[in-house]
Amino acid sequence: MVTESDTESIQVEIIPNRYLMPATTQKLLNEIYGNGGITRIMVHGPNLPRSVPYGPGRGTPIEENRDLLIEVGGQVFELSVKVGRIRLELESEEYLAGLKAACERALPFSFQIKRGKFFHNRPTITDYAKFGKVEDKRILGLIDPKAKKNRLAILSEVQVTVDDKEEC
Amino acid sequence: MAYTPQFYPGSTSVGINRRKHMSGNIEKLRDIPEADVVAIMGHRAPGADYASTHPPLKEMGEPDCPVRQLVAPTAGAAAGDRVRYSQWTDSMYFAPSIPYFRSYWGAINCRGCDPGTLSGRQIIEARERDIEKYTKQQYDSEMTDVALCSMRGCTVHGHSLRLEENGMQFDMLARTEMGKDGNVYAVKDQVGIPLDKKINLGKPMTEAEAKKRTTIFRFDGVPMGGKIGARKFDEAIEMTHHMWEYRSKWGYRPE
Repeated sequence: MVTESDTESIQVEIIPNRYLMPATTQKLLNEIYGNGGITRIMVHGPNLPRSVPYGPGRGTPIEENRDLLIEVGGQVFELSVKVGRIRLELESEEYLAGLKAACERALPFSFQIKRGKFFHNRPTITDYAKFGKVEDKRILGLIDPKAKKNRLAILSEVQVTVDDKEEC
Repeated sequence: MAYTPQFYPGSTSVGINRRKHMSGNIEKLRDIPEADVVAIMGHRAPGADYASTHPPLKEMGEPDCPVRQLVAPTAGAAAGDRVRYSQWTDSMYFAPSIPYFRSYWGAINCRGCDPGTLSGRQIIEARERDIEKYTKQQYDSEMTDVALCSMRGCTVHGHSLRLEENGMQFDMLARTEMGKDGNVYAVKDQVGIPLDKKINLGKPMTEAEAKKRTTIFRFDGVPMGGKIGARKFDEAIEMTHHMWEYRSKWGYRPE
């Protein structure tokens, strides 16, 4: 059972003017993590395939896209996208000013922060097909419904779980 | 008086650059060895013989045709080369040549080629030794900035995406990379197969230089109407309105 917060949560989207390298992503995520108040977070961007997907070179490994490991909050996980957008749900509006300051510290170029509604709160048919009955609604909207893999990293105080299993 | 073709209207820097690209009067900025261009294209190994689809025209005995007598075949057609391609992706962030202008350049200045423009990429097909020559011309000239333009035979995604932190156009196959010395290196051919050695393509243009040489109208660069707030639009937009009006009228009333 998830404990409901008694403050009004807000959802924001950070859009940097450039795609982020793994080192900058790590720095930004750590700054955001240090600011606190995160209910859920999603990094978004174009896919970085591990091998050439089409054409005469199909299947050739792309070494540059492998082992893009970043460490956030003391836990390591692998990036599979070029980070271009970060969506967050914050516990309350009081964390927003700190979030802006965190972005200013971490990003060497300009960025936009938008407030809006970025995560759905009712499970879709795809969610039902992937998870069955969803008990913890925080996972809604964190997964690309078209992805063949569930790219979901749950960072907890105890351990990191990367659910990256292939779906049939 | 000799006729001088007029290619594109307007007095903005973009209009002037468009005229330069269409007329073929483009500046040469770098010299990438021919063998390196061939390696990046990936159709044949540098130094290897050209594969052919038919015998040389001289051996074939062509029919008695006045058009064939008037038009000299290109080197590739005369030798019977295969048709091969080179495809470019140019960033919308002020790349010097946006897809249509590579096509205009090809269609106007390159004999025996078939240019094709798509939303974010541009392909030219021609006989193998001709396309190698045309590709080298594009690589060496101001039509190409090595950070904002790259040859991509497949997985061409990048034209409309934000740039990477180091100013390179995004490429999910990582075909080019920015070296520590500030030069851009080609590390894979245009379909993503690693090259035997890194090819130094030289330094990229600065942002100001790219904006000076670009052929893309952008609101945050040079808009199509010319100077913002001017009393009169630039001739480029007037010409577009004029063509649009006549095309609509012609479309509706063909007489």
